Amino acid sequence: MPRSRVLVLLLVPAAALGYEGEVRRQVLDGGIREPVLTKSPELLYSAPAKYPDQALQQGLSADVSLIITIAADGSVSDAKVRQPAGHGFDEAALEALRNFRFLPGEVDGAPAPVQMEYVYHFTLAARVASEHTARREAVLKGQLLATGSRARVEAASVQCVNLEDVPEAISDADGRFELRFPPGQCQLKISANGFEVFQTVETLAAGQIAESTYRLVPKNAGFETVVHGEREKKEVARRTLDRQELQKIPGSFGDPIRVLQSLPGVARTPFVSGQLIVRGANPSQTDTLLDGISIPLLYHLGGGPSVLNAEFLDRVDFYPGGFGARYGRAIGGIVDVATRKGATDTLHGVGKVDPLDASIFLEAPVANGVSIAAAARRSYIDVLLPLFLPKDSEGGTLQIVPRYWDYQVRLDVGSKREPDARSGANTFYVMAFGSDDILKVVATGGGRNRDVTVDAHTLFHRVKGDWTYRKGKLTSVFAPYVGYDAGSGQFGTAFAFKADGTSAGAREDLALELSSSVRLRTGADLLFSHLAGSAQVPILGDIQYVPFPGAEPRAEAQQLDRSVNSFDGGLYSELDLIAGPLTLTPGVRFTWARIRGRDLKASDPRLWLRYRLSQASALKASVGLYSQAPNATNFDDPPFGNPNLTFQRAFQASAGIEQKLGDVWNFDLVGYFNRRFDNVVTPGRTIGNADGTVTQERFSNDGLGRAYGMELLLRHEVTRNFFGWLAYTFSRSEGRKVGDGESYAPTIFDETHILAVVASWRLPRNFELGGRFRYVTGRPITPVLHPYDLYSADGNRFYATLGETRSARLAPFQQLDVRLDKHFLFRSWTLTLYLDVQNIYNAHNVEATIYDYRFRDRFTVPGIPILPLLGVKASF
Amino acid sequence: MSPARIFPSLLIPALAAQLSGCVGSDDDPSQVHDLRVLGMSFESPELMAADCNGGASALEFAAPVTFTALIADPRGNGRPLSFELLACGSPVDDRTCSIDADRVRLAEGNTAAGELTLALRPGLALVRDGSLLLQRVVDLDAYHGLGGIRIPLVLHLRGDAENVYAQKLMVFNCKRFASMKPNITPRLPGLQLDGQAWGESEVRVLQGDRNHKLQPDDFSALEEDYVVPGYDLREVHLKESWKISWHVDLGKISPTETGGVDLGGQESRHLVEWSPGVSERRDVQFWVVVRDGRGGESWLKRRVSYLP
Repeated sequence: MPRSRVLVLLLVPAAALGYEGEVRRQVLDGGIREPVLTKSPELLYSAPAKYPDQALQQGLSADVSLIITIAADGSVSDAKVRQPAGHGFDEAALEALRNFRFLPGEVDGAPAPVQMEYVYHFTLAARVASEHTARREAVLKGQLLATGSRARVEAASVQCVNLEDVPEAISDADGRFELRFPPGQCQLKISANGFEVFQTVETLAAGQIAESTYRLVPKNAGFETVVHGEREKKEVARRTLDRQELQKIPGSFGDPIRVLQSLPGVARTPFVSGQLIVRGANPSQTDTLLDGISIPLLYHLGGGPSVLNAEFLDRVDFYPGGFGARYGRAIGGIVDVATRKGATDTLHGVGKVDPLDASIFLEAPVANGVSIAAAARRSYIDVLLPLFLPKDSEGGTLQIVPRYWDYQVRLDVGSKREPDARSGANTFYVMAFGSDDILKVVATGGGRNRDVTVDAHTLFHRVKGDWTYRKGKLTSVFAPYVGYDAGSGQFGTAFAFKADGTSAGAREDLALELSSSVRLRTGADLLFSHLAGSAQVPILGDIQYVPFPGAEPRAEAQQLDRSVNSFDGGLYSELDLIAGPLTLTPGVRFTWARIRGRDLKASDPRLWLRYRLSQASALKASVGLYSQAPNATNFDDPPFGNPNLTFQRAFQASAGIEQKLGDVWNFDLVGYFNRRFDNVVTPGRTIGNADGTVTQERFSNDGLGRAYGMELLLRHEVTRNFFGWLAYTFSRSEGRKVGDGESYAPTIFDETHILAVVASWRLPRNFELGGRFRYVTGRPITPVLHPYDLYSADGNRFYATLGETRSARLAPFQQLDVRLDKHFLFRSWTLTLYLDVQNIYNAHNVEATIYDYRFRDRFTVPGIPILPLLGVKASF
Repeated sequence: MSPARIFPSLLIPALAAQLSGCVGSDDDPSQVHDLRVLGMSFESPELMAADCNGGASALEFAAPVTFTALIADPRGNGRPLSFELLACGSPVDDRTCSIDADRVRLAEGNTAAGELTLALRPGLALVRDGSLLLQRVVDLDAYHGLGGIRIPLVLHLRGDAENVYAQKLMVFNCKRFASMKPNITPRLPGLQLDGQAWGESEVRVLQGDRNHKLQPDDFSALEEDYVVPGYDLREVHLKESWKISWHVDLGKISPTETGGVDLGGQESRHLVEWSPGVSERRDVQFWVVVRDGRGGESWLKRRVSYLP
């Protein structure tokens, strides 16, 4: 019988290869998922081919390489010879293949046609093998697992090297194989791509069936080299980071959002703040989404670790601007974080411990076609901190209790029904995530002149469903979600508040290929929120009455109760018009918002243009309008809000070029210009009314801004032993307020030159070394002059004589962060120790300037010194 | 604002406050070693018209007031200090009164360290175009005098190369509500040094380089209730929480300022410590200035003979 070997090269269009227990990719293209091969076909029955008489007589052997199409029912619907062998071999192979039966491959969890390469070997030794089969064979059944991760090893060759006539076995998706050989000794050799060859001796008796598990050692396992399907790029600037990049960048504490600060277009923030300042926009003008849901709070306790566990994420798409019509509610940038499905082979997990918190991630198949992934984290700094707080020698009390936890969970259900022409294919998943922060401070008694008590608590939860339906050229994704937010705070005895918010929303995204040159995407994005809160606070000077300088009187208490309903609905459409190398994508987003009874409407047209100069290079440009509603609470009546607020708007334009340099390098250069208007500023206007009252607007739409610059990204894709990039941004961010004259001044976010160089190497002996170097020119400051002392007797304070607004700069910032990982591979798990050192050469950076009380002497506030962080991670 | 955004709102100001304490100068507001204006007062601190019908021309605003400035100049050795007292109408430059069209020179001359006392009628001051300064202040005020017409008076003091502008607000108010009454000057009933009463004429002898505790006699009963109009012209009821700034010409006092009520309603206590910090024998001057948060201000002076 001819031997055959299957080489599976996934040829499904725009597919991503590579499930090795860690990398599964949902490819997003303009927000719509494109098909991904989730299961390879499995051979169930191979019909023996008739050896060609002519070849037999001539004693010829041959390998016939074919491309076969396996239909969704497992039959071979098409077979073509790729490399003919002649002598009747081709015809014999084609004849045999028509009778093969497979377990069909699956795309997005549903059976679907799959094309693959198949090599049929014709060898004369087959005759001897058939003689062996007449006797009672020994059967060796086994499963192949990777050492350190227990991932199943697929497509490994298992053979008895001392028995040439025994056909080899190929392991399936579950790592299982079955090898039949004559009773006696088999010098077993197992070889698989990326693993060390495994050899042993198995001796079986006639008719004996043995089962065994074999663990293969990864070949100094490198970074997961993923063959990226060509995600079609329409946007001028979309930067994507996968999970390895998100976790391994030094200085970011393994925090997936902080890593974005090393990309072009993002300014550096002071100290270790993770806020995103994108093309000079206020951080509140950039939205961060998790599977399409806005994340209300990115970091614990206002600036600590991210609320997202990096293990749970698949990928982050970052749009510094020029994003498509499917995204709204932001006028800066968009960060779209995608979660990943749970494992479909077996239980895997990762546990991590560092000085601040401990986290765990688990993923496993639950049932056929059902998998689950979950992550959780809990801080213990609240337990450790009391050990370091100083004792009050005068008997006072000092307690600081910061505590946080977060979770993410996702359950995927794939359809196992055979699709038919009428019903299409369906996949579902449910995802939930949430976070909870508490901060308690008690500093009372002893030698203190003033007691301080703070008790603050904030939390949020989100649950989302996702139904993807695919039929022919139509794809529909429907995603409803609900949310709950709560916050409470008490400061001293006179300030307390409590607020709850519930939200419900839904997205529907439709993609339809109308023809080979016209593709339509359209959808709706609806969100309803209800927020209710109460506060007991003193009457507030400046907000409710004209205060006297330096006064801190006891004020009467007031009870404030508020309830706000808001609705924000968007309808969008985009068309891809393809004419050869040119793709034009006009789009529009209509938004209607209703907040506290006030209706706001906006129409935001957007346009992308992409011109492919060659396979490796393209020109691109974009222009568009963007809108963002102010926070619903800002619409409160004066003096706490302004019910007459409108949308914040931005005009964004960009143009650039991208060039692929070889197989692994990419070059991207983009210039941009943004103009922001109707931005919300505080305080607003002071309006004297005819009846003698004063309307003090807390907010107004009087903010204007403009930003322009250039972003350069030179990037090395993730390969076996290296990944990295060089990012340079030239940026100007300016702002002013209506009525403050015509001149723009640099904003506090303006940093002219931003350079980040990131690199990560896989070294021998399971070491990984990474570095991040940053050089950033200083933020603007307003110079202080001191011709004389300026003193206010009422407030007992001195004032500065200021120079031109933000006409000076802090000293440039420079810092090198280094991370070293060492992996220890055990039988069924891997231990990783990592050391993440920020500012390894202890550069003395300046984060701010302060002055003495009379503004005579200037002092600098230093940045963080060298800061090492040691962590331990276990994965299985 | 999402309830979840509490922490950035709380933590950033707290962090900034902490950072400012970690770095900075050794020069401390309590240490007086060069030319300083430590306090300024008006007697009366507030002139109140019986009703709001007269506007800036109310008869009560013509009353005389006594202006006193507390000037310290330890290194000056009694040198002459030139001064001018200006009143200005523009809120844009109310710290130096440099806009000629909007200012009035009320007094000028020479003085020395100690107390500078002047009799004034700021309510009758006229700007260059002949209009009432009070009216100019009302016209340029974004709140049009709601909460009181506050004329900035600026004392410009010069001694050799040292140059100080010190501002004090003179308040002209109208009785918008029946419960309103003019402010009166806060006065501390007394001081204690190391738990013992410390009279004005008493020069306490202290020996040894150790910290000494200072605190005022209880004055809580003297803090007045008062009423101000809100933006909506409703009554806002407040109660004074006096703040005391502590100054000395040898060593330093910590904290440098006590009193006031924070947003959480926590009131500061008034217990401070003086650290001599030097080993030289000399007389030490203390100044303790109290402010009521409505323009009222006064001070106490005390002396110590220090033996290291």
